[in-house]
Formats: sequence, structure tokens, C-alpha cells
Amino acid sequence: MICTDVSYEVELLVSIAVGWVLSVVTPVSVETHDSLPPVRLSHRLQFGPIRTGAMNLCNRHQVGTKVTVEYLKTIGIKTQSPRGRGFLFPYDVAFASDGQIYALNRGRVRQGLGTRIQMFNYDEEWLGEFGEGDGTGPSNFQLPVSIAFNSKDHLHVSDEGLGEIKVFDREGTPVAQLGKAGVDGGSLKFPTGLAIDGDDNLYVVERGRNRVHKLSPEGETMLIWGEEGDEDGQFDMPWGVTIDGDGLVYIADWRNDRIQKFTPEGEFLASFGESGTGDGQFHRPSSVAVDTRGTIYVTDWGNERVQVLGPDGEFRQMLRGEATLSKWAEEWLDVNRDEQTARDGSDLRMQHLPKHLGTPYQIGAQTEHLFWGPVSAKVDGKDRLYISEHSRARIQIYATN
Amino acid sequence: MTTLVRSVRFDQETLLIAHLLRRAGFGATPQELDSYRGMSYSDVVEALLDPDPSSTTMPTDIIFRLFPEYHASLGIDACTNWAFRMITTENPLEEKKILFWHGIFATGNDKLNNPLTILRQIDMFRRVGTDRFDDLLLELSKDPAMLIFLDNQTNHSGSINENYGREILELFSLGVGNYNEDDVKECARAFTGWSVKNAEYMALQGQKDSIWPYSRIAWHYEYRADDHDDGEKTFLGETGNFNGEDIVEIICRQDAAAQFISRHLYNFFVADEVPVPAWSDTPARDPKAIATLAKAYVDSDHSIKAMLRVLFNSDFFKEATYKKYMGPVEMIIGTLRLTGEVDSPGLGMFSAIEEAGYMGQLLFYPPSVEGWHSGEEWVNSGTLMDRVNFAASHIGNLDHPGIRDLVDRIVASCGTQPSPKDLVDSTLQLLGPVYASDDTRALLIDLASRSGAVNASAYPDSAEFDKLMSDLLRMIVSTREYQLI
Repeated sequence: MICTDVSYEVELLVSIAVGWVLSVVTPVSVETHDSLPPVRLSHRLQFGPIRTGAMNLCNRHQVGTKVTVEYLKTIGIKTQSPRGRGFLFPYDVAFASDGQIYALNRGRVRQGLGTRIQMFNYDEEWLGEFGEGDGTGPSNFQLPVSIAFNSKDHLHVSDEGLGEIKVFDREGTPVAQLGKAGVDGGSLKFPTGLAIDGDDNLYVVERGRNRVHKLSPEGETMLIWGEEGDEDGQFDMPWGVTIDGDGLVYIADWRNDRIQKFTPEGEFLASFGESGTGDGQFHRPSSVAVDTRGTIYVTDWGNERVQVLGPDGEFRQMLRGEATLSKWAEEWLDVNRDEQTARDGSDLRMQHLPKHLGTPYQIGAQTEHLFWGPVSAKVDGKDRLYISEHSRARIQIYATN
Repeated sequence: MTTLVRSVRFDQETLLIAHLLRRAGFGATPQELDSYRGMSYSDVVEALLDPDPSSTTMPTDIIFRLFPEYHASLGIDACTNWAFRMITTENPLEEKKILFWHGIFATGNDKLNNPLTILRQIDMFRRVGTDRFDDLLLELSKDPAMLIFLDNQTNHSGSINENYGREILELFSLGVGNYNEDDVKECARAFTGWSVKNAEYMALQGQKDSIWPYSRIAWHYEYRADDHDDGEKTFLGETGNFNGEDIVEIICRQDAAAQFISRHLYNFFVADEVPVPAWSDTPARDPKAIATLAKAYVDSDHSIKAMLRVLFNSDFFKEATYKKYMGPVEMIIGTLRLTGEVDSPGLGMFSAIEEAGYMGQLLFYPPSVEGWHSGEEWVNSGTLMDRVNFAASHIGNLDHPGIRDLVDRIVASCGTQPSPKDLVDSTLQLLGPVYASDDTRALLIDLASRSGAVNASAYPDSAEFDKLMSDLLRMIVSTREYQLI
């Protein structure tokens, strides 16, 4: 792949010539959003031009010389086994108070295969698992979507198939089930995104009714907002949700190709993004995360990429994926030498593809290190960004400098 | 011997359009017939051949969102993805033509273990399936799924593998008797170097069904110039330093290619022929029809679309009603289009596609590179039970919106207190229409009379009438006649 993105080339050359320079580039100024205007942002002024073709295929490109995100490592390997180390359609991660990582495997739902939650740490030590698919018991999932911890280290799991939130302690023992009844007089209709604020209140995205529920820690309805549509405060099949340090709520408004921002009371604050493939444009964004500096990360799922935005939604950096072999993958290849040998003789970098294979989906399918199915963005306690890729069965981790 | 009678309510033009939709699509639902109301038969042919680009099918993003398996295109999930399009498309010929080519250029996932790449082949048929045959054959020769399926990655300069060179002549373009063994070798030489990127690794992964480390990587074509035999070749009487493109061009100029494709089109769209291996010593069922189609091939510079236009407007097509056995995929897709039960991607589609497999046609898993044998071979004592059970369980269910709509139309057509005969005739008419023999029709009327006079005055709040309609519909789809389209 010959990268023609000027800013990326400049960055690359600079980093080669004076490698230390980038490490001391002044970080992007941290902006507070205490006084966010309750108006829609003017995206046409803020976002760069639509980039197409080869420019869009670069692994990373960014506005100016601001460096915000750098690749760190990959965790994961594909498995079709119902138990044990490895992922099958990982959909989300969450972090316990001590940093232990929990990964939700959606699994192969038609068979209920491999649906479970796995525990491991940043150093890729696999620590166990719990839960399974294809059932209605307290530890069974059908179509799990999202996970989040509260302050008591209780893991909450949304399940759009069962229409409920299941709660576990950090060892995987069932603690509670929320939302099956009592929410607005009935079960949640396809609950998807899930986030928990500093007071342990839950924000649950209800895809089936295009709205957001705010629930008390006990699961009682505190607030519901949203309806079907494309106006401010309306949704079209919303998916992910996150809460920033100020308690503001961000929703991935999936089929409206935008992120919407609200107060904890459900008041509309801002919307950013529009349909497209350019910088700051989205195609079916599935998830949004915000770090401690207010930087926003959006899994631009339909464009098979991740976008880094400033606190006001201005485009900063594009991530295409830079996966390397995880420890688990290296260990597998160590004992499967025929594949290691064939792999060593291959060129798995970005290829020149025929025009009909030039879509983000096809490029992701053909190119192993790029994102393919980036479904969830999460930030851990050290402001590291975790991107779960359901179709590549791995999690790419980035430093947010 | 019984006399076939027609439940005549539709005018002749509508009956012809229904015939066209059964062959060029997946059946003629009442809603589809409505959508063509006021159009002449020839206009409908044109609408099918040049569909409105704004017409819709189930959105891929929603399919991918609800089931990530579709995104990664695993095994049977990949063909299920295609099935959603077949069921929900407003351009049925677009998907039917793919089913046609999938049966001829049969590529099996049991060897490849890379369904995403077969799905790309399906997309290729969608893209160029009615273009010039030359273009299609060239795309096929560069198709990664086909190249690995027929081992062309091991077809090297100085050490040929004849597999693709043989099949492109025998099964894909000319047929046995229209080339010799030297042509096969020369053809194979011309296709040396036609491979897939990282072919050795990709083929190994396919061989081992390896999903590691990060799931399957899709394949794409790669030409290896340093592995291509650039020497002189003599092929079908012509001599030159041929490459694969030259071979395709020479093949498509042959009269045998015109005859071969014409007979395939006739077999798929008009009337069942004997299986392909018997073509070399069994005359075509209708030689004049084949000659007409072959002339269209030559006159149009090998355009498949032009051949289909001639075919659908021909008398031999219009007169060929109910002369084909419904294939398993046609049965499954046609049933689900009629019932209207698939309006979003759901788990039920997996089992529906598996049902087609039980009936003898599991998509992406042809029995061999020769494809499926069709016609009478679709139906035996085992598959007949599967066909009847599937159709009866779905079409006999009035909870499905399409079936409820059908019954609404039947009641509107024959009134709330119809005679059993009128009820049966209206049902036969709106369900296809379905031809019924005298004997079958008498049995159906007997069924409708079993509880005395038919009374639909309380419809749609009549459980008794709903039960009668469910029984009648299940009985109709269980008949021999229902297996014919």
C-alpha cells in the first residue's frame, strides 16, 4: 500500500528523521465543556474534506501534527470452542476496579456457541470465564450486546434477545436481573448499549423503541427520553452509549450516522457527524467512548474505522487498525508450524484490490491488520483505548497520549 | 389420464406474467402481480431485465448488525445472507440469474472453507451475470473461489495442473465432444500464473479449515507473470502465444459455446433437460428453441441479457407453463416470499436454508463441480416429504402476513358464502396460479365441502373459516401439481 495521505507521510518522515520529536509534540489542548452551547455544531466548518480512495486506506491520518492515539498491542485469537481462551465475536469489554479486563463474546448465536464472558489482564493472562448462550437461566445469554461495571464491581450485561440486563459479581455469580419487567410497564425491547454513571445509575439504549432509559441502581425507571426520527433528540436504531467525566451522555445514533450528546436529564446538547466516508462523517457508528481529557472515540463500524474527535466533536485522527500478533496468536502459531511457515512466506500488508473490492468492508475482509467489525470503543483507567473487533476476534489497544 | 383445468379468473396477460415471474423470479405473489398491474407482458420482461436501480432489498447493514456471523460470513451463514436478498428483493431476476450461474459454475465451500470468497463470487454473478458471456467467463477465470476450487494455484509454467483448463471447456463453456485432450493441455498452459494472493497460505488455511489467528482472510486474484507459460500454443485450431484472456475470447467465438449456453438457459428457464453429462449423446428437447437462442447469442455479441430477452418473449417459453419441477431453493424462497414472514434478519433463516439442503440443494455446497441435477431428480420419496412439510407448515399458517393477505383476497374474490368450488378455484388462482387436475380439484372441493356450506361471513374473526383455509392451503401445496412451475 502506498499511502498518499500527506499528513500521514509527513508524520512518518518526521518520526523517522527525528524520532523523539513526536514524543514531545505538545498534546492537544484539553478543553472543558462546562458551558457547552445547546445548539447543533456546524460540521461543515469543523470537518475536513471527504477523503476517498488511497487516502482513506492509510492506517492512520490526523489533522496537523497533533498526535493523540498510538497503537500499543492486540489481545485475542479466534476460537470456535465453547470454552477456553480465545474470542468468538467479541462485542465489548469492561474493566473491574483493579483493571482486570472482561470481554463479552456474542458467540455464534444460531447455535448459542461460545457466548460467554472471559476474564484476562493487559499482559494477556487468561483468568477464566462465565456464562453461556442459548438459554434463559441466570447465567444464560441470547444476544448480549454490552457490558459495564458499577462502583461495586458488579458487571451489568445487556441482552437484546432476552430484553433484560443481567448483573454478576466479578467472579461471575449472578446477582440480579433488571428490565425484564417493570420498565415502562414492560420488558426492554432490544436493549443494546449500556453505561453506568458515578452514582451507579444505568443508562440503557433501547433499540427497539428508539429511546434511552435511565435506571436507578435497583433498576427502577428514573427517566426515559427519545423517539424514532432524525431530529435532535430522536434516534434511529441507536446502539452504544457512554458517559464522560462530567456525567454527560453520548449516544451512537446508529442509523442516523451521528453521535448525540445529552445532559444527565436527557436534554439535548449537541450532535456531531453526518453520513459519509470523510473525516468526521460516519456510516453506522456503533459505539462511543470518552477519555479523561474529553477526547471522543467513535467506532465508525460501517466504515470499518475508528475516529478520534475533540471534546466538541471536531475531527482529529483516523484509525484504520494496526493489529499485530497477540501473545495467544504467537503461541498458537508456535505449535502450528505449517501455518507459521506459510504465513512467513506471505505478504499480508494492504494490497491493491480491484475496484469492486474497494469498499471498507471488503478491504477489512482482505487485510488482516485493519479493523474489520470494530464494534466497541472503551477506555480503561489508564486512558488506554480498547477497540473490540467482532469479525477478527481480537481487541486492539491504543495509548491516548 | 386426467384433464388439466385452469382456475380461470386472471386474464391471459396476467397468467403469462405469473408464468414469467415463476421462472424469472421465485413465484408470483399477489403483491408482485399487483406491482405489474397495467403493464404488458413485454414491458414486464424489460422491467425484469433492466430493473429500477432504486428498488430495494433487505439492507445489509441491518443484517450485519443483528448477526455478526453475516459480517464475517461463516459457512451456511453466508448463503443465508444471500437468501435474505432473494426473499426480499424487488428485482427477482437479479437473484435468479445468480442461482442459474451458481448451478453451472458450481463452487463448493466444503473444499474452500472460505464462504466469504464464495459470497464474492455470488456478487460477481450479480454484477456481470447478464453481460457478455466473454466478460463473465473472464471474471470466472479470475475468481479466487473458482481458482482454488479447481486448484489453479498449482498450475505452474512447466508443470501444469489441467483441472481448470478441463472444466472451463467441459462444464463451463463448450461441453464434451467440442475439444480434445491437446486443447485441455494448451488451455491449462494459458492459465498458468492465474492465482490468488498468498495462494499457498490461503489454500493451506482452506485445506485445514483454519480460522486462526484472526478469522479467515478473504481472497483476491493475483496474476503471477513469472509463473505464466508465455510460449506458443495451439488451441481449438488457432495458434499464438495465448494467455487466459485469449483463450476466453476463442472459446466464446465457438458455435459450441452458443449451443451450450443456450441449452443451459433453456433447461433453467424453460423446461427440464437431461443432466449435462448426457448432452453429448442426447438431442436437445427443443432444437429450434436452442437454435433461436444461439442466434441471439451470436447476433448480440454474446450478450446473456439479449438471450434472455429473446427467451422470455418467445412462444416456446410462453407455451412452457408447468413444465419444470420447482427446485428446492425455488421452493424455500418462493414460499417465504409468499408468506411475508421474513421482514428482518432472524434465526429462522438458518433452518430454512438447511431445509433446502435436505431437499437436495444446499447453497454453496454443490455435490460436485458439475452442479446439481435438476428436473425429476429433485423429487423422490424423501425430498417430497420435506417439500410438502415445509410448504404446508408455512403456507398453512394464517398468522403470516402474506398468507393473511392471500386469504383476504380470496374472500374478496369469491365472497363470504362461496360455493366450495368457487373457494377452491379462487384459492388455486391466487396461489400461483396453481393448475390442478380434475381429480385433484375434486378432492379439494370435497375437502372444502366437508363441514357443509362455506361460511366466511364472520371473517376475519372466524376460527372455523381460518381452519378451513389452512387445511385447504396445506392440501394444495401437498399436491403433485404444486411441485411444477
